[in-house]
Amino acid sequence: MLKTLIEAFALISTWEVIIAMFAASVYGLVIGSLPGLSATMATALLVPVTFYLSPIAAIATIVAASSMAIFSGDIPGALLRIPGTPASAAYADEAYAMTRKGQAELALGAGVWFSAVGGIAGVLSLMILAPPLAEIALSFSTFEYFWLALLGLMCATLVARSSPVKAIAGMFLGLLVSCIGIENPGGVPRFTFGLTDLFGGIEPIPALVGVFAVAQVMRAMLTPEPPPLPRRKFGSIMAGQWRLTKLYHWQMTRGNIVGIIIGVLPGAGADMAAWVSYAMSKRFSKEPEKFGTGHVEGLVEAGASNNASIASGWVPSLLFGIPGDTIAAIAIGVLYMKGLNPGPTLFTEKASSMYAIYLMFIIANILMIPLGIAMIRVAAYILLAPRSTIMPIIMLCCAVGSFAIGNNMFGVVTVAAFGVIGYVMEANGYPVAAMVLGIVMGTMVEQAFVTSLIKSDGSILPFFERPVAAILAAMAIGALLWPVMVWVWRKVKPVQTAAATSR
Amino acid sequence: MRLPDSVTGSFLVVLGAAAAYGGWILPPVPGQPVGPNVFPLVIGSGLALCGLAIVFGIGHSFEEEEELIPLEDGQAAAPPPQGKLYGLRALLPPALLLFYVAAADRLGFIITAAIMVYVTSTALGAKWKLALPLAALSPFAIHLIFGKLLRVPLPAGLLPTPW
Repeated sequence: MLKTLIEAFALISTWEVIIAMFAASVYGLVIGSLPGLSATMATALLVPVTFYLSPIAAIATIVAASSMAIFSGDIPGALLRIPGTPASAAYADEAYAMTRKGQAELALGAGVWFSAVGGIAGVLSLMILAPPLAEIALSFSTFEYFWLALLGLMCATLVARSSPVKAIAGMFLGLLVSCIGIENPGGVPRFTFGLTDLFGGIEPIPALVGVFAVAQVMRAMLTPEPPPLPRRKFGSIMAGQWRLTKLYHWQMTRGNIVGIIIGVLPGAGADMAAWVSYAMSKRFSKEPEKFGTGHVEGLVEAGASNNASIASGWVPSLLFGIPGDTIAAIAIGVLYMKGLNPGPTLFTEKASSMYAIYLMFIIANILMIPLGIAMIRVAAYILLAPRSTIMPIIMLCCAVGSFAIGNNMFGVVTVAAFGVIGYVMEANGYPVAAMVLGIVMGTMVEQAFVTSLIKSDGSILPFFERPVAAILAAMAIGALLWPVMVWVWRKVKPVQTAAATSR
Repeated sequence: MRLPDSVTGSFLVVLGAAAAYGGWILPPVPGQPVGPNVFPLVIGSGLALCGLAIVFGIGHSFEEEEELIPLEDGQAAAPPPQGKLYGLRALLPPALLLFYVAAADRLGFIITAAIMVYVTSTALGAKWKLALPLAALSPFAIHLIFGKLLRVPLPAGLLPTPW
């Protein structure tokens, strides 16, 4: 253990890793603070750069950029009432109300401090949860993997803030995209329409860049420019945070735990964690009437929650290759490219790399405090940059980055196509995150499904025979039926209340 | 681009059915009951079923209206100009990417990128005083990062970079 820890330290204490991490942190802070550019988009645009880095440095950039971007989304949320990333949307109103009360420092300080604490709690969960889960996962057969993947996909559709039917449709679309190419059980060209470019299938990374970055530029074309940030002088940002920590330690812990759980669930990421935690904070607060008027309690809990989900989202990604959220979905692509194929054996064979990942998460979250404070102070200048200078650069990065993935122009076509698909889906209430998970997990789902079918000789029964498989199956089917039950409940409940009032 | 559910749902039904049929006609692996045809068949049927459900409005009650943060006084933004062609502006980014695919090899990276930047920037409301320098400088910066540092083989075309 100590030896691996020393090895891990050696892995991360190279100039390449240190510079990569610092640069990615600054990049993450800037992108996250710009309204309309999400943490997922920041990570997706980073992928082409990671090709040219060593494996550890590549992961370092993703870890640093995603953690920083989630925090820095709080900045325009508090100052402009426009969340920088969707993960900050839950409490942007509250933070803005605090700014209007003259407590901008307290709101932003709480953002930095509780984000860092939440991030570290997330890493601890990753360190504690992953190894024992890996032990269990070693005995998994294709049946378990099939149900696990299905459960992941179902969770992604459950937590979407949209119609579950549309979410499931989105998931199927993603799976359908993953069918394209010759990488299938028979090795025959499938849905390639005679195009050689499609033989290799649709790469997940250009698809993600298209869905998250190009679609965002498309939306920007139709929405008005956000107002500029008023200049202001900030007092001490960290003052009073320790008092808040003591006062709201229970809320903070609850936020951390909820964030960790939501992060581990496939498909549900930081934005979901923030919404749930904010709602929970209000529900259990002693003074719920203060919420919405500039009360810091909800900020503490939700801020601690969304950053905790970032690290814990890596648990299913590293163990099973099932992404905990969209950022982890991108990370999985990078892991594969760097020869760190996700799976339970990763924790025994590449233990030092795993420790290096934990360490990088911890360092990124500590680094967040000084860099975050600096960012808050210069945010006014960065937010002066008009959208019409940022979006063109994003476009160029999309084009060059997607070209760089395979050094061919088909990547750029893929990005353009998925930009349109993502835009149309979003506009019509189809959650894109479900489709992204489908694309990323498609090959794995199919392999597990077909191999299981071959092993069982076409019978359904072996899918439920092994105990773990049976439990996972029950959970997956439960997740599928959940919306139906909610629907029935909603139909029954008004009748009951009506009967009660008439009595 | 907000389409009625019946349109998107019907599209999914057609797409699902086509996928299921496409899977059906794939050649099976000799001597094996399940091959590359099973998965598309399952996915296609599922997609078609979802499409049907959407057409009939099942699950619609779960959809949450997008929470728009109400504007405050002094923050009121100008209403976006509405015209028939206004909605088509959204198609500009993908169109520019396709333009990049078509033109980059012939014109070279710098020129193509400059055109892309200028058009995007102007479309988002920048004056030429801002858009022109941006279009002149940013391709070089991107080329420096990707072409020089990361060694992505960007096409030189008509205007090779000085390095």
